[in-house]
Amino acid sequence: MLPVTFSRVFRMPLYEGIGLTEKQAVVIDIGAAYTKFGFAGESGPRCIIQTEVKCPETKQVKKVLHYSSKEDLYDLLVEFIHNLYFRHLLVSPKDRRVVIVESLLCPTLFRETLAKVLFRHFEVSSVLFVPSHLVSLCTLGVNTAVILDVGYIEAVLIPVFEGVPVLHAWQAQPRAAEAVESSLKALLLSHNNDKEDFPESAIEDIKVRTCFVTSLERALQLETVEPPPDVVYREGGTKIFNIPGKVREAVYEVLFEQDNDQISISTMILDAIIKCPIDMRKPLAENILVMGGTAMAPGFKARLLGELKYLLQQPKYSSRLALKTFKFHKPPAKENYVAWLGGAIFGGTDMISTRSLTKEAYLKHNNVPDWADLSYNCREEDKISL
Amino acid sequence: MAFFLHPNIVRYNCTCGSLKPISRIYFCRHCLKIRCGYCVCHEADSHYCANCLEILPSSEARLKKNRCAACLDCPSCLNTVSTRSTNITVQNPDDPNKTVTRKAYYLACGFCRWTSRDVGLPDQTVASGGWPEREHAHAARISSLLEHYKVLALRERQERERKKFTPRRSYLHFSDKFGLTAVMARKRAGLPPLGGLGIKDEAGSILELTPSVASEEVDSLPAEIYTKPINLAHVATLSQRLAQPEFQTELVSNLFPAHKHLMIKRSQRCRSCEHNVSKPEYNPGSIKFKIQLAAYYYVPEIRVVTCEPLRIGQECQLIIKLCNPTQHQTAIEFLPLPSAEEDLEERHKEIEEKKEKQAEKKNAEKTSQGRDDVSVLLPSLSLSRQLSVSEDPHPATVKLTGEVILPSSSVLLPPRDDAAEYDDAGDTYHFQDNPKVVVWRKANKAAVKMVVVPQDSATETREVLIGFVMKYTYVNTMASLEQKEPQKVDLKVKVFINVGKTVGSCI
Repeated sequence: MLPVTFSRVFRMPLYEGIGLTEKQAVVIDIGAAYTKFGFAGESGPRCIIQTEVKCPETKQVKKVLHYSSKEDLYDLLVEFIHNLYFRHLLVSPKDRRVVIVESLLCPTLFRETLAKVLFRHFEVSSVLFVPSHLVSLCTLGVNTAVILDVGYIEAVLIPVFEGVPVLHAWQAQPRAAEAVESSLKALLLSHNNDKEDFPESAIEDIKVRTCFVTSLERALQLETVEPPPDVVYREGGTKIFNIPGKVREAVYEVLFEQDNDQISISTMILDAIIKCPIDMRKPLAENILVMGGTAMAPGFKARLLGELKYLLQQPKYSSRLALKTFKFHKPPAKENYVAWLGGAIFGGTDMISTRSLTKEAYLKHNNVPDWADLSYNCREEDKISL
Repeated sequence: MAFFLHPNIVRYNCTCGSLKPISRIYFCRHCLKIRCGYCVCHEADSHYCANCLEILPSSEARLKKNRCAACLDCPSCLNTVSTRSTNITVQNPDDPNKTVTRKAYYLACGFCRWTSRDVGLPDQTVASGGWPEREHAHAARISSLLEHYKVLALRERQERERKKFTPRRSYLHFSDKFGLTAVMARKRAGLPPLGGLGIKDEAGSILELTPSVASEEVDSLPAEIYTKPINLAHVATLSQRLAQPEFQTELVSNLFPAHKHLMIKRSQRCRSCEHNVSKPEYNPGSIKFKIQLAAYYYVPEIRVVTCEPLRIGQECQLIIKLCNPTQHQTAIEFLPLPSAEEDLEERHKEIEEKKEKQAEKKNAEKTSQGRDDVSVLLPSLSLSRQLSVSEDPHPATVKLTGEVILPSSSVLLPPRDDAAEYDDAGDTYHFQDNPKVVVWRKANKAAVKMVVVPQDSATETREVLIGFVMKYTYVNTMASLEQKEPQKVDLKVKVFINVGKTVGSCI
């Protein structure tokens, strides 16, 4: 039931079950900003859309993750998933399998409500929850890696060793697209005094089309170097304002600046490696996978590598880590849908029938198995004492 | 319909609890319940292209990834592109000294002026199709990964199944200990080789997969990014990139047209009896329905005619118009809304009824499947009826801000007669109406008077919301096994009316 580990087995089939052609399963990766979805076994998602719904009554656009209560989330998810199926996927949800790619740190409330929506409202036949960090390894064909997912709200890192997530070494920091966007907004407001506010869509557009992650050498002397050229931005066709080159270069610094706890996105990797046993450190450092939409920013990986090498020289890490090299993987997909692709590969196999939570099981127990739930994730001998 | 009923003044309470105007609800003729878009089961019926209106069978739509083969979208503004033709002069293949004019076709967007020539697509010699398709760069790698994991997953499954029932096979398994392979042992014992049971050679199916190799090199920033001014018109926006998720090109000059996404016609099915409440005709050009059990055709419609100015605490007259859409006479009665406890009781009763029905069904299934072997052979998932899933009711919270004094007598409405409008002779029906209740009557419509008392709670929003239960007789003409004759039943529906804003000071 818990796909937290891959177990590898070496036997051959006797026969291949009853050969009824199964409907293609749907793979959904609901992100804080964008939702990726498509069919299992395909090489790319069908669509990537914003995770938001338009309220049919008030006509207001609302983000699905900005829910106020359980009931509110239920309604938002019903509306959102209905849209997914009938506007984009164009299939009936009933009696079709679903793969949900989720973070291991997904809130229980969201998980349970999502399962309830899928089983009770859409009557899907089974749901397979797969942890995004683990399944993204399916896109590489390796079993060991440090996986850093830089999404919208936070950057989450979980090392995986031989197919088993090293949970106690997890790292999560609110250093992701949201932080970049708010820094960009603040910088732009300080340079354009006549402006009062920028719409979120414009900020995102400016971030994607004009900003980049500068190199470490330049970042260390950002005040003195010659800034890149300014960009004239046209907002809504008529209004024009200037984006200073300094801003274009500086917005992503918020991810790499160390805060009071001396934590940045690059120290997350080193801290996680330190938390792992000594034998795991070298293979982990030589298998780094960076995914998530924010990692698509130009220069992001180069900066990350530069930072890692620089930090290794610092006394804080040089005394504790004897690493020499860091190696990055290149997944066969764009960074923003690596986790989805992992789920699509995983869901394209027989795992979907052996590891899914079926409708019957859900209706019987009215519960979703979870790794954090001791009634499910507990060794047999410990169960008696509970 | 949605237009003149659009301000949701009169809302009906659906069986699932949501409030919808009559134009948005269904009436299931089989279970005689009101259903709405929230509590019916939606199904994809037929796929079609919104541009060329071609219908595709669902298997073909799946094969083409829900995209139209003929129509293309502009990659820049995401509207449909059209094909343009021009004349070009080319060398005559037979005689190089002469030239001939030929037709050439290219794509152009009428909205944003994007053309296929912008991105260097060569012109086509045929008017439709023939545009080069882009291949996903990693398609081969992904399919080999998929194959690899498929084998792994299959093995795990087999192992699990084997663990479940391992038959104790004689003592032959010891033979491995002494250097004999199982195959040899079988041979000696005169048994057929294991392969005869459909077991393939293990080694043959292991797909060698080269795992991804991590490298110390990463894509570095181009040096000119610090010096070269950028022209925003050449950088693709996020929506342009995400329209083609597999490519997500950053430069406008690399944007290629994509095939147009299909659309579907949906049919709706009642969840409790599994009958269709709405089924459109397959042809996308047709706006008609094969089945359309809209409540508008079965449930008396209420409209507000007029209302006296609403003052808090004062009695104001409200006139509503009732309309009988059915082919049978109906009697309408008004009842006050049930209290919360009564509601709860009713819900419990319904749930119990449902349980009883399910139990009956199960019993019936059991008795019909006397032979166990049949039920074992049938895969329970696909052939037998699914166990029905009940969704929790979804009660909408309504805060009433007005009291209503309902007419005491019931109102009879004659059946709908389409010819009545053209009949100058006037009504042929003679009802003994209470003049205090019915103020006007024509054909299948009647206007009814009631009194509204806006309450203090209306001061906040200044809107007066009243509610009552409408009880109407419905003639069930659906013939079932038990009854062939049309049956008269009394049905109830909760109705909420937003009467309007209060006037005057609130003191």
